[in-house]
Amino acid sequence: MPTSLRWLSAGVLVILLGGCGRGAEQGPATPNAPPTVAAAASMRSAMPSLIEAFGQPVTVTYGGSGTLMRQVEGGAPIDVVLFAAASPVDDLVAMGLADGATRCKVASNELVLIGSQDSPALTWQTLTELPVTERLAIGEPAAVPAGAYAKDALMQLGSWAALQDRVVYAGDVAAVLAYARRGEVAAAAVYSTDLHGVEDVRVLDRARWEGAPTPEVVGAAVTPSPSGRAFLEFVAAPAGASILARYGFGPK
Amino acid sequence: MDDPSTFPIVLSLQIAALSLLIVAPPALVIAWVQARRRYRLRSVVDAIILLPLVLPPSVVGFFLIVLLGRKGPVGEVLESLFGVRLVFTPAAAVIASSLVALPLIVKTVQPAIEAVPIELEHVGRSLGLSPLALFRRVTLPAAWRGIVAGLVLGFARALGEFGATLMFAGNIPGKTNTMPLEIFAAYQAGDDARAMLYVVVLTAISVAVVFAASRLNVRLEGR
Repeated sequence: MPTSLRWLSAGVLVILLGGCGRGAEQGPATPNAPPTVAAAASMRSAMPSLIEAFGQPVTVTYGGSGTLMRQVEGGAPIDVVLFAAASPVDDLVAMGLADGATRCKVASNELVLIGSQDSPALTWQTLTELPVTERLAIGEPAAVPAGAYAKDALMQLGSWAALQDRVVYAGDVAAVLAYARRGEVAAAAVYSTDLHGVEDVRVLDRARWEGAPTPEVVGAAVTPSPSGRAFLEFVAAPAGASILARYGFGPK
Repeated sequence: MDDPSTFPIVLSLQIAALSLLIVAPPALVIAWVQARRRYRLRSVVDAIILLPLVLPPSVVGFFLIVLLGRKGPVGEVLESLFGVRLVFTPAAAVIASSLVALPLIVKTVQPAIEAVPIELEHVGRSLGLSPLALFRRVTLPAAWRGIVAGLVLGFARALGEFGATLMFAGNIPGKTNTMPLEIFAAYQAGDDARAMLYVVVLTAISVAVVFAASRLNVRLEGR
């Protein structure tokens, strides 16, 4: 089947090169209202600058990507999603709730292990040495991409089973960071971008080993709102990328 | 207890029961004082007691963390002196539940005590009854319906505590994942079937509680 394979890869290529926000237009739902973007909590720091550079009003709602996905599923008036992982976006596309033609990777991120000033010096590899009385905070893996990446990383390193009892789950990555900042946990897994302007935590280690999970920011249009699609295109374009880079996001 | 799906049910009932046990004595004393004593700061005390009932749970949770967290003034002392750490423990869930149950108990019990003719207490006191005996032998028999209604409502409120518990006790499967937390986590994860189990259990308990409380109160009014 080499021919059909070639056709398939050609199709994939077309989708990949299709760019952001250029899906089929079905007529805007709300023509003049500013678009509403549901953005992962990890996008909170960069969003105001992105919107400012975009030059048009955009309404944003933040949350765990899983929670936001459920809201879109429940019919929340959201025009564009910007999630911290591909799977919740792909789920929406599969359910026919987001336009697959507009789905695109916007940026990449990095999973970091952080602690408070008096945390023991641990690395991803030595995390099992975390004292039994101390805790590791991660996002609820089924709902928070940062938590899913962290769980993947620890399973990859073979330490998940040993650490499981010491894990505390949070509803989004901002809550994970808050636990670490207040010193309630000795270690926490967040994105490197969450640390923009945060000085009261210490970076213990970065997930940089061969095959480490590579978090990504993925967007898609939910409604045909032209301004929503324009915003998504802007974020994925070089202008948006340079702003995202300023907040520590990696290239897509 | 070992079954992960029944654990939240058992844990929630344990936390609510323990909260009730802890909070009932002070709640009854406060209700009695507020019903019987006229002192200068009475309305201030009234307002403070009501606070956990009217404040958003996130505010209650925030106060608890700021006060009892590892960097909080009380939390720091507890840890350095006794090695006690409250955040992310079932004990933290008990504290959060107790705090929100208190006003509901006080506000239900207070009118029941007020409805007991004060002459009865005067007579009891003149017969040399201690305050505890007075409560047990005079106030309690006359106001028991309202008191039980208050305790039942308090139990239900403790059982349903979510916001402050999530912030203060965290969500640790097998340790602090009460039914409300489990519903939230399951919903977020898209596991509606798992959420529905606890929704049904909590709804059934709440319906029973409201029914019991209203019957107790109806009879109280009918006396």
